[in-house]
Amino acid sequence: MKKLIAGISALLILAAASAHAELTPGGIALQPANSAVAEDVHFFHNAVLMPIITFICVFVLALLIWVMVRYNRGSNPNPRKFSHNTLVEIVWTGVPILILLVIALPSFELLYKQDVTPDGKQEVFQADGRATEFVFANDFPERRMVDSRRHLEVLVASGAETRRLQYNADYTVEGFGEPEVRVSLNTAPSAGERVIVRGGRSSENASECGAFGRYFDLCEKEIVLAPTMTLKVNGYQWNWQYFYPDFGNFDFFSNMLAEDQTTEELYRLEVDNRVVVPVGETIRVIVTANDVIHAWAMPAFALKIDAVPGRINETWFKADREGVYYGQCSEICGVKHAFMPIAVEVVSRPEFEAWIDEQRALVGMDPMFTNDGVTLAQNDAAAPLAVE
Amino acid sequence: MSDAQATPRAGLAEDHAADHADHKPSFLVRWLFSTNHKDIGTLYLIFAIAAGIVGGAMSGLIRMELADPGVTVLTAFTGGNLDAAYNFYNVLITYHGLIMIFFMVMPAMIGGFGNWFVPIMIGAPDMAFPRLNNISFWLYVASGFLLMLSLFAAGSTGQIGFAGGWVMYPPLSANTGSPGPAMDLVILSLHLAGASSILGAINFITTIFNMRAPGMTLHKMPLFAWSVLVTAFLLVLSLPVLAGAITMLLTDRNFGTAFFDAAGGGDPILYQHLFWFFGHPEVYILILPGFGIISHIVSTFSKKPVFGYLGMAYAMVAIGFVGFIVWAHHMYTVGLSVNMKAYFVAATMVIAVPTGIKIFSWIATMWGGSISFKTPMLWAIGFIFLFTVGGVTGVVLANAGIDHYLHDTYYVVAHFHYVLSLGAVFTIFAGWYYWFGKMFGWEYREWLGKLHFWVMFVGVNLIFFPQHFLGLQGMPRRYVDYPEAFALWNEVSTWGYYITIGGVVVFAYAMFDAFFVYRKKAAANPWGEGATTLEWTLSSPPPFHQFNELPRFDKGDAKAF
Repeated sequence: MKKLIAGISALLILAAASAHAELTPGGIALQPANSAVAEDVHFFHNAVLMPIITFICVFVLALLIWVMVRYNRGSNPNPRKFSHNTLVEIVWTGVPILILLVIALPSFELLYKQDVTPDGKQEVFQADGRATEFVFANDFPERRMVDSRRHLEVLVASGAETRRLQYNADYTVEGFGEPEVRVSLNTAPSAGERVIVRGGRSSENASECGAFGRYFDLCEKEIVLAPTMTLKVNGYQWNWQYFYPDFGNFDFFSNMLAEDQTTEELYRLEVDNRVVVPVGETIRVIVTANDVIHAWAMPAFALKIDAVPGRINETWFKADREGVYYGQCSEICGVKHAFMPIAVEVVSRPEFEAWIDEQRALVGMDPMFTNDGVTLAQNDAAAPLAVE
Repeated sequence: MSDAQATPRAGLAEDHAADHADHKPSFLVRWLFSTNHKDIGTLYLIFAIAAGIVGGAMSGLIRMELADPGVTVLTAFTGGNLDAAYNFYNVLITYHGLIMIFFMVMPAMIGGFGNWFVPIMIGAPDMAFPRLNNISFWLYVASGFLLMLSLFAAGSTGQIGFAGGWVMYPPLSANTGSPGPAMDLVILSLHLAGASSILGAINFITTIFNMRAPGMTLHKMPLFAWSVLVTAFLLVLSLPVLAGAITMLLTDRNFGTAFFDAAGGGDPILYQHLFWFFGHPEVYILILPGFGIISHIVSTFSKKPVFGYLGMAYAMVAIGFVGFIVWAHHMYTVGLSVNMKAYFVAATMVIAVPTGIKIFSWIATMWGGSISFKTPMLWAIGFIFLFTVGGVTGVVLANAGIDHYLHDTYYVVAHFHYVLSLGAVFTIFAGWYYWFGKMFGWEYREWLGKLHFWVMFVGVNLIFFPQHFLGLQGMPRRYVDYPEAFALWNEVSTWGYYITIGGVVVFAYAMFDAFFVYRKKAAANPWGEGATTLEWTLSSPPPFHQFNELPRFDKGDAKAF
């Protein structure tokens, strides 16, 4: 059975000629970001850290060149004898502390954003053309409750498009921090439209957010919903095993493809069975290992987490774009450490559901989503709506 | 010349007058049973050079293999067997790390320069415990022997040598990953190296606390002695933790305990905490003596006293202290709680402050001076800049948010080679050229020393600067083979290695030339008025026993260095 899966997947992969590594040959920068968190990592590295460390290096180099030119034996034959200057000593202790504070501010924000699995939630209401008030159950733990307008997002979806409503201009809210948050729309949405209320303290910066806004946390926020699925990863010497516990009792191994089964560009990155996940949804990743420590890494999502035997580590990602993304085992794990890459294929929700049904069929399970064109399950809460 | 220096010079004259001061025992007694701090220092330096050649050759094989994608070089050693070649690569990176850290930098800095110059600089006739000093050295030799032996013992299933990285994380280093005896030999080797270093550290602390010349208070003690004192405390406090961790590993492997085995209720992450509680102070152990050396060289060749002497001394104390409370920044991806990561981010960044004080104080020492660019000064200035580069990438890595991307990539490799290979090793060469005439009595040819510096400076930067690019692109470290996209900068890095080897050849020739061709006697003080510490008051080389009459700092305007 496993061989069959491998064979079919290999064929699929050869067919999907569009796959390419996000690596730039000879590249010198971070791999392109494919999640809001990775974009924050890029901003923090490229716009905060790099300018600061470059400035420090150039400054030290300039000082060194200056003293070498001005105070060499030729230009300054008689050395001065001072050995103290309280003012400069205070300055070169104080200024680095200030620089570190400038770094620390976005650093901690980024760390918590990366590390805390989102717990945002959305409630969908069918509009009847008259109702303007919709109640959002604020059933979060106390420290995660919706208690300001930054924690709430209201969208109206018709069949064709989804629009985001503006606070005050389009709707008002009562009951922040209380068990029930009442959202009152200024005009009633027409019948057939759906009102979507998203709430929670997990949020991400909109991708058009500029450097200044990102640094001072002034950008427009989008609520990040709680994970819609869990991906379980198990590291072996020397391949990866993947489970989709939400979608049935199946699993598969992911092995590196041999040199003649893939392109020169993708060799040592491409695998026979890729991980498939839906785009735009929060994916919980839980990671462990079977023998020695490995690390599951995915640079496009700025994600790296150790797979430790006997422990379960949790992280998450939310991919912005469809495509195939590659990572490599990042903790030395023995002879073939360099040959157990990771490939994640991000697809649309329908493609994902079709893939799940395919995997279930391979192990003799009934389809979960569609059967002969009939939709079996509607994952309303999960399916994110594209915001125009 | 101040009056204070007149006193030690008087002592020197008396040294020469007393014949028995230079009476040396026979060759075997002198070198095998040595209790003389200078001879033991020389033995350590020879040991470090030998280890440096082995560790450097290993890095050569690593870089040759990585010059192009595909495994083509190491297969020559394994009869074409690919798995054996992959294993050999992992063996090479493991032993390169262990050898360079434990058997090259530590013996050179602490065993070599520390033994040679701490007693002289504080005006002592020898170390406090000369025989302990001897056993420290020979334990090191035994340790090195065990490590070499482990190279030829069975490691992971069907393979030779321990191949789990210098950090030796279980389960890869436990029976699961490395069932063969190679790892047991590595553990025993590190036990001996640790015992040796602890004994040596006790010796340094006792010597510095009890045997300073009359009137030399701690606050008048030369900065190199300060740096070795702080280093010795770090050794005494951190090495027992490593010894405990690897002993637990040893019993896990051989006696059925399960300290690090989750199946038996243990935890592999516990090992990492213990290891890095040792491992982080260890990186300061490697660099602190170098800080001391650089202070003396910068002051000597600028003809100016060290700027902010007390700040420099206590910056080292601060670095040593903070070095003990930042260990888990090596472990951001193991699954620590987010608040714990936040603490280690904050604590780690604090280290930048005392380090910055040192960098700026060295520059301020040069400011207003009259700098001559002799070979040791070139190495020192090169060190100040390159250590700054390695330091700022450390600030980048300190941020857990970025480290989730850069952890275990070549960015980390670039960072720690900038602070060690271009930092610590540069200070060793700086110290070597600074004290070469003093230790061996011969001068080297100045232009050869400068050529060595320039070739090496270009070479090591070419090796390690492109590795930042590889890391940012996401190339993981400890990879025997890599995707095509990483080919360019790996190739450039390997060119850098060949240039560096050229530098090493220049160094070897410069030494051969100094000992056998140039043969120019070194003066007692070749550096002039800037060189104010006590070693320059003695002949070059110093008499076998110095300071039969102690130099005094308790009269007149005794000065700090």
